[in-house]
Amino acid sequence: MINFYQFIPEIFILTLILLTLCFGLFNKDRSIAINTLGFFILTLILINFGRDFYISTDLPLNTINLFVLSKIILSIGSFVFILLSKRPLKNENLYRYEYILFILFAILGSFVLISSDNFLTAFIGLELQSLSLYLMAAFNTKNLKSNEAGIKYFSLGALSSGFLLFGISMIYYDTSSFYMQNLNNFTTISEIGLSLILISLFFKVSAAPFHIWTPDVYEGSPTISTLFFASLPKFASLIFLFRVYQELNISGIQSLDYIFQIVCAISLLVGVYGAITQKVIKRLLAFSSINHIGFMLLGIMCYQFMSEGTLFFYLIIYLITTFGIFAVLLNLRTVEGEFTKISQLNGLRFTSNSKSISMLVFFFSLAGIPPFAGFFAKFFILSASITDGFFFLSIVAVLSSVIAAFYYLTIIKNMFFNKSEIELLDDNNKIGKVVFISFGLIITLYFFYPDPLFNLVDNLFK
Amino acid sequence: MSFPILSLLILTPIIGALTLSLSSSSQLKNKTIFLSGLWITTGEFLLSLLLPIFYDKTKNGYQFTEYHTWFDKFDINYYVGVDGVSIPLILLTTFLVPICLLCSLNSIQNRAKEFVIYFLLLESFIIGVFVSIDLVIFYVFFEAVLIPMFLIIGIWGGENRLYATFKFFLYTLAGSVLMLLAIIYIISKVKSGNIELISDFTFDQQIELILFLCFFASFAVKVPMFPFHTWLPDAHVQAPTSGSVILAGVLLKLGAYGFIRLSLPFFEYASIYFQPMIFALSCLAIVYTSIVALRQLDMKKMIAYSSVAHMGFVTIGIFTLTQDGINGAYFQMISHGIVSAALFLIVGVVYERHHTRMISDYSGVTNVMPKYSFFFMIFMLSSVGLPGTSGFVGEFLVIMSTISVSVYLTFFTAIGVILGASYMLLLYKNVNFGDLKTDIKQLADLTNIEIFYFSCLAFLTMFLGVYPKLLFEMINKSISTSIL
Repeated sequence: MINFYQFIPEIFILTLILLTLCFGLFNKDRSIAINTLGFFILTLILINFGRDFYISTDLPLNTINLFVLSKIILSIGSFVFILLSKRPLKNENLYRYEYILFILFAILGSFVLISSDNFLTAFIGLELQSLSLYLMAAFNTKNLKSNEAGIKYFSLGALSSGFLLFGISMIYYDTSSFYMQNLNNFTTISEIGLSLILISLFFKVSAAPFHIWTPDVYEGSPTISTLFFASLPKFASLIFLFRVYQELNISGIQSLDYIFQIVCAISLLVGVYGAITQKVIKRLLAFSSINHIGFMLLGIMCYQFMSEGTLFFYLIIYLITTFGIFAVLLNLRTVEGEFTKISQLNGLRFTSNSKSISMLVFFFSLAGIPPFAGFFAKFFILSASITDGFFFLSIVAVLSSVIAAFYYLTIIKNMFFNKSEIELLDDNNKIGKVVFISFGLIITLYFFYPDPLFNLVDNLFK
Repeated sequence: MSFPILSLLILTPIIGALTLSLSSSSQLKNKTIFLSGLWITTGEFLLSLLLPIFYDKTKNGYQFTEYHTWFDKFDINYYVGVDGVSIPLILLTTFLVPICLLCSLNSIQNRAKEFVIYFLLLESFIIGVFVSIDLVIFYVFFEAVLIPMFLIIGIWGGENRLYATFKFFLYTLAGSVLMLLAIIYIISKVKSGNIELISDFTFDQQIELILFLCFFASFAVKVPMFPFHTWLPDAHVQAPTSGSVILAGVLLKLGAYGFIRLSLPFFEYASIYFQPMIFALSCLAIVYTSIVALRQLDMKKMIAYSSVAHMGFVTIGIFTLTQDGINGAYFQMISHGIVSAALFLIVGVVYERHHTRMISDYSGVTNVMPKYSFFFMIFMLSSVGLPGTSGFVGEFLVIMSTISVSVYLTFFTAIGVILGASYMLLLYKNVNFGDLKTDIKQLADLTNIEIFYFSCLAFLTMFLGVYPKLLFEMINKSISTSIL
């Protein structure tokens, strides 16, 4: 008898999908209202009863906490995202109810991916997520670049899914099981299979050298879709990567461990070197996200030292910062349409106090300059990595963050020192404003009172 | 729990900045903004005066300590306190910031509110560095100082300000991140960020050398020492007068303070091991930058290079590892903080009137600005190290302490004094004496405000020169017990 208790969050989202399918066709506004309310309720349910859902399973408490916390974060993220998405979609004439459906399917896929014990389930979750993402990238059908982004993302994503399936089948050949816990004794075949699975996951989180799709897709897609790619699905894939690393004890297998370390170092470096010369802000953010993925992989690797805590903390801060930056970007428009170039930020200081100061906070936080929360996120990752003896990677990480500081400073320079050249239209989106101001405050005030955020993460891993 | 004076010192400027930023700028005049900034910083100065009054010079260790848990799990705590080494630097900071605001009253016209806010934030971060006894807090403040300084140079700087401010930020950051790694390693070993506990801990000798170099990378950029000094002339030349004042007056001391507070007590073995390297670099700095200063055409650049030379004395003094040497170095720090700040103000005064910093554009200034030349002379002589001014005491003690190490070292250090005299006198001669140029004629002499802050600075210079005991009483005990 299958215990349906543990599927309640997924079933909840499925219900939301059905409701959206029913109502969305007739009333788009109502479907957005239903979904925001739905995710709000889901967050509350998960916070209060999250652990009870999994109690009947024989999973270790740590894993249950991991599921619950990441699902809470995903559902809060979706709540904020759906709230944010309405206005930008309207501006781009993309306000169609299918978009909300794609978000829901992607989130459903992420939920499945996070809590799957079985490689096939993980594959289904990942595909459900990815297919929605391809559509979201190509959603602006009248724009050539958006189409290009969708096709690029789809073809490369299909390739990586192929890798994933191939890897899974190799493991099945070796162990005749799809379950992760049955994979204990590694033969060469399952090592190769696992490395193929890792490659596919690296592709999903856009770790270098599997990052080629990232800048183009980020640039071409509508900005609101870019925000989604940069935040929630990536978060889910990272959590799954973390689970694979931890549950299969990859640090014990030397060849795979090397792959992990090399990918981490290359991501750190490729991210910063790619970003230096970028002129389009979304491309820059794409490369900067590659650099941050490097940090997160470093966090995944050193799990002896309360790693869930440090990794989660980094992820939360990174999500908050990403949401904040994109909320500002979505609030800005040029006469021609979406805001794209970094130089269009010139003189933002003179036109808008709240936006420029929030951006200052977010970018200094991404650069890891204290007293902003981004510094502490990096600090804890580095603490973990140094305690675990990853000296070389730590040095690469800090030096890459010095180079990263250069391009973050360039953006701040544009906003604060330069005179504006073109007129930026203020979208005056109230929700966006609330989001970036409150997230900016979280990032700043963390220094004065670190307990709540830290305890939240910490308590879940007792 | 006693009165939390140190937290108050850190928070007052931040709260001031917040209040200012929440007030709507369109209604406020520049003057009102500067006045409110002045009130806040003057209050801060008066508050900081309580420190030397209530400080017990006979006791060891830190006083006015405050302790709050911050990150339980990592044993990183908000732990602040002061001893004799930090108090004079805190006073120097709180003393210079109001002067910075006073001197920019006329020169900063646009975005005055932001300017005052950044200065207030800068002040609180700097004080944070000086009061922290926990490594993480120290690092947080040490790095945070970069943000307001980056904006101050970038917004109100000269024509090449972007290059200068980026160079300043990235150089300092590159040095600091290595220190961050070292700090993390130390914390993971000692299981605490408390400076006192770490001082008692002995590391493996090989590791200690590496850790020392990591700290050295950060502090040497900040001081700045010879091969890492190139950001300084750029930053000084491009910064507004007030930025130069705070940069030369206090920010350079952060590096030297780091050497005294962290490097020496943590790494006794490495400090001795690397002594020759630091002496060599400092001698090179003194001789090389003095010669470079001789050939400068830009007044600010000349004084910037002289700063590098003077900070060379400081590093030599610190690494003689004798009481006299460190005393001398410390005295030189304070004296240089006052004198170089004053010299940058001096340059700022004529720059504001004549809009050029080239030495060749000035001649015979003493004919039209006698009061100006008078103050210029006092600070110039103090920078040269004339007995009776504060510059003398520090240089003398440093040179004296070098004899115990090596006579060659004494020789090179003393050459620096001669070279210092030659370029400063040259500068003074070229600007003040000679034929009166026609376009100099309409320059107005010092205003009352300028006379006010110059006489404050001049008084301090003379007073410390005549009665250095005041400072030594404060620092002697702390240096002999907690540093050596």
